[in-house]
Amino acid sequence: MPSISFEKVNKKFGDVSVVEDFSLHVEDGELLVLVGGSGSGKSTILRMVAGLESVTSGTIRIDDRDITHLAPRDRDVAMVFQDYALYPHLTVRDNLSLGLRLRRMPTAEINRRVAWAADMLRIESLLERKPKQLSGGQRQRVAMGRAMVREPLVFLFDEPLSNLDASLRARMRIEIGGLQRRLNTTTVYVTHDQVEAMTLGDRIVVLANGRIQQIGHPIELYRNPINRFVAGFIGTPPMNFVEGNLHRENDRVFFVSEGLRVQLPAERLPGSVPSKAMTLGIRPEDVTLADGKPTSGGAGAARLSGRVLLVERLGGTSHIHFDVGPHRLMAAVSGEDPPAVGDTVGIEVPSERVHLFAADGNALARAE
Amino acid sequence: MRPVVRAGLYAALTLAALTFIYPFLWMASSTLKPPFEVGSLALIPHDLTFENYRIMWSRAPFGRALLNSVFVASTITASVLVLGSMTAYAMARLTFPGRRVLNAVTMGVLLVPGQLTLIPLYTLIVQLGWIDTYTALIVPYLFNATAILMLRQFFLQIPQSLIDSARMDGMGELRILFTIFWPLARPALAIVAIFTFMGSWNEVLWPLLVVRDQQLMTLPQLLTVFQLGGGAGTLGVSLAAAMVLVVPVVVAYMFLQRYFIESMAGAGVKG
Repeated sequence: MPSISFEKVNKKFGDVSVVEDFSLHVEDGELLVLVGGSGSGKSTILRMVAGLESVTSGTIRIDDRDITHLAPRDRDVAMVFQDYALYPHLTVRDNLSLGLRLRRMPTAEINRRVAWAADMLRIESLLERKPKQLSGGQRQRVAMGRAMVREPLVFLFDEPLSNLDASLRARMRIEIGGLQRRLNTTTVYVTHDQVEAMTLGDRIVVLANGRIQQIGHPIELYRNPINRFVAGFIGTPPMNFVEGNLHRENDRVFFVSEGLRVQLPAERLPGSVPSKAMTLGIRPEDVTLADGKPTSGGAGAARLSGRVLLVERLGGTSHIHFDVGPHRLMAAVSGEDPPAVGDTVGIEVPSERVHLFAADGNALARAE
Repeated sequence: MRPVVRAGLYAALTLAALTFIYPFLWMASSTLKPPFEVGSLALIPHDLTFENYRIMWSRAPFGRALLNSVFVASTITASVLVLGSMTAYAMARLTFPGRRVLNAVTMGVLLVPGQLTLIPLYTLIVQLGWIDTYTALIVPYLFNATAILMLRQFFLQIPQSLIDSARMDGMGELRILFTIFWPLARPALAIVAIFTFMGSWNEVLWPLLVVRDQQLMTLPQLLTVFQLGGGAGTLGVSLAAAMVLVVPVVVAYMFLQRYFIESMAGAGVKG
């Protein structure tokens, strides 16, 4: 199985730079997810690997072969498109086999591969149908089959699940993950959905404005986001952010904002703490509701007081939105008996779980 | 809808349809009538005769003219489809310097009335020594701006991902055009084919200018010459010649009717 490497890849459309200085190594058999909002450059990167978009500068290699300027057909990569891109006038069988026939593969081998892919994707009964006679999920499978029969060096997925409804998306997500592990083909998967990224990716690359924000294993990105963008992008529901300042009192350090004061464990901070504007981040699932009257301060957990604005019941968990001073925070709590709107509740913010971001958005390095 | 209203509606529609079809049916039946009966409005000939056709066929080379017309119209139609769709594909789907200019020029061509280019074109054909050749009948019509713009419009609606996918499957641009776009653009191609064929089939003025050899004349041209020259003699013979002209178009229409109606409906929706 091959690896893919990007070396200082840049892409400009006219004067607009869409991908800047992209360098990355995708390991053999890895499923790498590129995730980011619209305009982050994720699809452009994928299309550059496919050969559908030219590279302004830099090099892309598959194994040691420089593919930067090869035609799409000479790259030995296969792509699954967002809208499936099945040929509407051909049957499923012809859709699967067309690429192989164009490569003048012997008929027996074509039939073997089509049968293999159809069996693996459970679409044998659909082979003689036309795409418009298929459901969304079936079309998605055919699109994957078309990539599989090529037995390419690399799979590329361009938001393949975004046209499916929620339950089907969850099911197809599991199928794609399982399939990729069985085939063990190096895969680059583009999505804007961080849940897809978290559940599928061996590693995730978070992109914004054409630049890599952070690369890492899903849990690593969740636990140690490198900047505020990544912190806000990874994790559902999204992280709470509060603007404020750091204050030193004797040898203790506090994050202070209107109506909110959190003592930070000294070991959480680097040697020299700049005492300027900071952003505190706390994940909704790390916020807990406390019984009894709220108090302020404490070494282990900050206790705050908040007024409940909105309760979203999801069944097993509830999302509770509340005001703390001028700040709006959210807590994700389990249990079927959440507080009511208008209640004043005590909230605990465990100080070892908070994230701190400097004014430029970068996470404050931990002194671990 | 109440049955009475429905019946009334159908009666009115039938009447309207009859007013359109009657002259055609009358023409068809008159070709089968002897001269003294042609003036009658009846649709069923009293004395059925094929004499009009026999006279027509014996007085001028209508068989040859029919073949000429089929050859000229088919060649032009095939060329407009092939070259037109290639141009349309490039204009719709490829990026190259001058694409906008090409679009503007193609559009501009539509604004120039055909009568305006008739004389210069004729002079050119004379200079080239093409008078009295098939080349003179065919070459000026090999490209058609309307066809290019129509196909371009249709090609613009085909999703980019299909092209991407075809490229990754290993297709070149020509193969994408003929194996992916053509099957998808069948309705548009059919419309272009119908209009081009009919336009070429019914063309009289241009052949009259560049062809004088009776062996090279197209059917409408020969018919015109035949009638103006008094060759027909009787109305029945004239009508028989007109029948020969119109039947191939009617047959073609019957085969392509579905696309024809689709195009009219589509034109209505898109404006």
